[in-house]
Amino acid sequence: MLKIEHLTKVYENGVVALRDISFEVPDGQFVVVIGLSGSGKSTLLRCINRLIDPTEGRIIWNGIDITAANDEELRLIRRRIGMIFQQFNLVKRSKVITNVLAGRLGYTNPMWSLINRFSPHDRQMALAKLERVGIREKAFTRADELSGGQQQRVGIARALMQDPELMLADEPVASLDPATSHSVMKYLELLNKEDGITILCSLHFLSLARAYADRIIALKDGLLEFDGDPADIDEQRFKDIYGEDAVRVEIA
Amino acid sequence: MNNNQFPTSRGALRKLLLVLAVVAGVLLYAYGWRVTDISLDETQDQTRQTSVTRALRELLSPNVFDQDRDSEFADAYFAIGCPDDGEPIPQPERAEGEPYIEISPDCGERDDAVTVTGHHFHANADAFVRWIPPNGQSRPMVRTDVDANGYFQTTISVPSLRGGGDEFHTIEVEGSWPVGLPHLSKTTETVIEKMVETIFLALMATTLAVPIAFVLSFFAARNLMRQVRMPAGDVLIAFILLPIGWALGDLLVGPIGELGVDWGKDLVLGIVGPAIAMVAYGGIARAAATAGLQEGTVGHRARKIGLNVLLVAVIIFTLGAVGGIGIWIGDKLEDTLLSDLGNFVNTLGTLVDLSISVAAALAGALLVSSVGTSLVRGGLRYFEGPADHIVGAVLGVASGTLLMAMMAVIANQAAWFGLLPLLVVVILAMQDLGLIYNRLTGAGHRDEANTHATLRLALQVAVAVVAFYFAYRFLDSGRLIVDGRLPSALKTEIGPFSVKTYTFRAMLMGAVLGGIGGWLLGIHRNFPLGMTVYNTTRTILNALRSIEPLIMGIVFVIWVGIGPFAGVLALMLHSIAALGKLYSEQVENIDPGPSEAVQATGATRLQMIAYGVVPQIVPPYIAFTMYRWDINVRMSTIIGFVGGGGIGFLLQQQINLLRYREAGVAVLAIAIVVSVLDFASASIRERMI
Repeated sequence: MLKIEHLTKVYENGVVALRDISFEVPDGQFVVVIGLSGSGKSTLLRCINRLIDPTEGRIIWNGIDITAANDEELRLIRRRIGMIFQQFNLVKRSKVITNVLAGRLGYTNPMWSLINRFSPHDRQMALAKLERVGIREKAFTRADELSGGQQQRVGIARALMQDPELMLADEPVASLDPATSHSVMKYLELLNKEDGITILCSLHFLSLARAYADRIIALKDGLLEFDGDPADIDEQRFKDIYGEDAVRVEIA
Repeated sequence: MNNNQFPTSRGALRKLLLVLAVVAGVLLYAYGWRVTDISLDETQDQTRQTSVTRALRELLSPNVFDQDRDSEFADAYFAIGCPDDGEPIPQPERAEGEPYIEISPDCGERDDAVTVTGHHFHANADAFVRWIPPNGQSRPMVRTDVDANGYFQTTISVPSLRGGGDEFHTIEVEGSWPVGLPHLSKTTETVIEKMVETIFLALMATTLAVPIAFVLSFFAARNLMRQVRMPAGDVLIAFILLPIGWALGDLLVGPIGELGVDWGKDLVLGIVGPAIAMVAYGGIARAAATAGLQEGTVGHRARKIGLNVLLVAVIIFTLGAVGGIGIWIGDKLEDTLLSDLGNFVNTLGTLVDLSISVAAALAGALLVSSVGTSLVRGGLRYFEGPADHIVGAVLGVASGTLLMAMMAVIANQAAWFGLLPLLVVVILAMQDLGLIYNRLTGAGHRDEANTHATLRLALQVAVAVVAFYFAYRFLDSGRLIVDGRLPSALKTEIGPFSVKTYTFRAMLMGAVLGGIGGWLLGIHRNFPLGMTVYNTTRTILNALRSIEPLIMGIVFVIWVGIGPFAGVLALMLHSIAALGKLYSEQVENIDPGPSEAVQATGATRLQMIAYGVVPQIVPPYIAFTMYRWDINVRMSTIIGFVGGGGIGFLLQQQINLLRYREAGVAVLAIAIVVSVLDFASASIRERMI
């Protein structure tokens, strides 16, 4: 259970990214966060694993106050929260397998990991996760030689190395073409259905959100604009979220 | 209409400003002209032109090559003052096939012209005519060319020589011609030897600087350090524990390292000892791992601390043993063919031996301070409300005292280091002011510095001036900065202790300022530890970088004597500063995405750097290292001018002895090596980026 209470984030330059956001996510839900660029989606996701420190409010996860955790506690929390990114954020010059193994760093002895030593168990695990996202044969190529969709799947494999209970996906398909977008979203759906991983995913397109979400949360200028069933978003709601001039774009 | 007039008046003003700027520029250059003593008369001076032509001609005729020569001799006798009887002077016997010379006349007074004719000399040889008076002190007269038939004729004039009396003078002609192939001259051999020294000097300096600059570059990277924030209480406790840990490490771990060195000197023990230690550690670690303690519990934490202490001991012991083995191997190799290698290994081993206690102390300091902080951290949580500030004040007093004591110790080394305590006092006072200001204006954790920027700045300047003035008077700094003397040796008694008054007063100021800061900050607010480290590192690097390696060279020559080692140290120190800055800029330019992703997996900060940052900076680091080596080769060619070894030393000697042909060889060698390296490093860099 993830509980967000009165979350507010004001950046140092005075920009207010989130205003008093509160909601709860039960375990195993597939939640999609929608909203325009700059509406606070990324900030919200990054506050949950404290890549960004919130200004006010609390985030409670499985009874632990994430916002009050010190460095060591935060590390233990973070390693159960996977995250994938719009730009994939792979180390481009490193091999795919190294990128995937990096997901295991929270569990390995810091000393050994510094000289690039992982246990055989971790290596087997990395290959298995790559198998799962269908790019086992790319394990020993350089990350930047892969296509965008493949890179995002490496990102998913990396997050899976953490044995996550919660997965944060920050616009995971915004840099991909429609077909590849669906394939990546399918993997997320699979993780949600098969492994019971709670997913919090931000998306631009409502059509994609409708196709995969159990529940949609919409942000507008840092405020919670909508929280509910995908089917409840009618034309009026849509205009509330995206503005009067918005036109629906379907993504096949 | 208004619109039309406005630009014209503005245009006139602009024109006037332009004219003024041009006039100012001309004046500036006129002043520069005078200051730099630019003098066209000097360039026209006849004698100077002659000498520069000579020097340049010789520089451009470097004696790179040499050739063996054979020679043959022929003599003739000459009398100063012709004999009264008019008899010819008896001449040496002529042997068949041997060269001989004829002189005419065979007697005369000084300044008389004498024609020397040679026959049967080696064809096309060089003929050197010398005058040898009876006392045997030969003096060269003239050099001439022998023709293809072995004949030459030249004229000399009788030199003015004292003495001689009735005895004859000898005119000697040496015919000399090259045999065999040209080979490298002695000078060239020396120059090559020195050039090799120079290149290695640069290589050593670069190699030694790289690892240090590598580590420093992370501390000087804003993007990494900005994230490092810790609760103020933790920072203060860690700081207070550092010296305690240093002492403990020196006392307890140091002897373990020494033991390792001793064992290492006895090869078998040196290998077996660390092996056993490592296996034992592995066993204990495994046993501890199976104990099945929950992460985050007290037991788990205790196990982790215990293992870390053990690990440090094992590492220091092993390091010591490795050093010891190095000394052992070095000693064994010393008398063999590999004596260079032996000497190298031996020096490395000795270096480990010398630094092991420092390493132990450092490890102790870091360990104690991190363990102490993590132990106390739990306890600090319970201080809320006023207790938060009281504990903060206590810690602040202790840290401030400690900090200023350290500054005072530094200030006791050299008079102008006395600026350091003043500077720290000013910084502390300004920080305190910032906290007070925030408290009064109610500015919270958000940075609202923009709201009253001018007022804030004015206050800061005022406080800085006041703090500086007060500290200057209180510490009697005029004695240091104006008179250039060390702080007074007067002591102050505090109970059983007796401290220098200077140090005591510095500590007192630190206590007050630290106490105020600690009180205001409390122990829970975040302290920008990273930015403090960043600013300190940057300041030190910038200061070091502004000192030219030639000047550093002068100091190191005093320390380790004339020779390449002084040059290595000087270039190394400068390279650390320069590379540290270049490297850190590369760290600041990385794509933040990968490191963010690695951080999100629950990696430690060190892991984040190893997996998210290092892979991105490897290519630019290699490029900059090459570039630096290139610069170091250039620098090492002249570091010898201050005694830093390498080819510069040779060059300077030859210039001082006016041996420009030899100097020319050195100049040529420098030009070749620098341009080759320039090309090589450029092409390697191109390939890397």
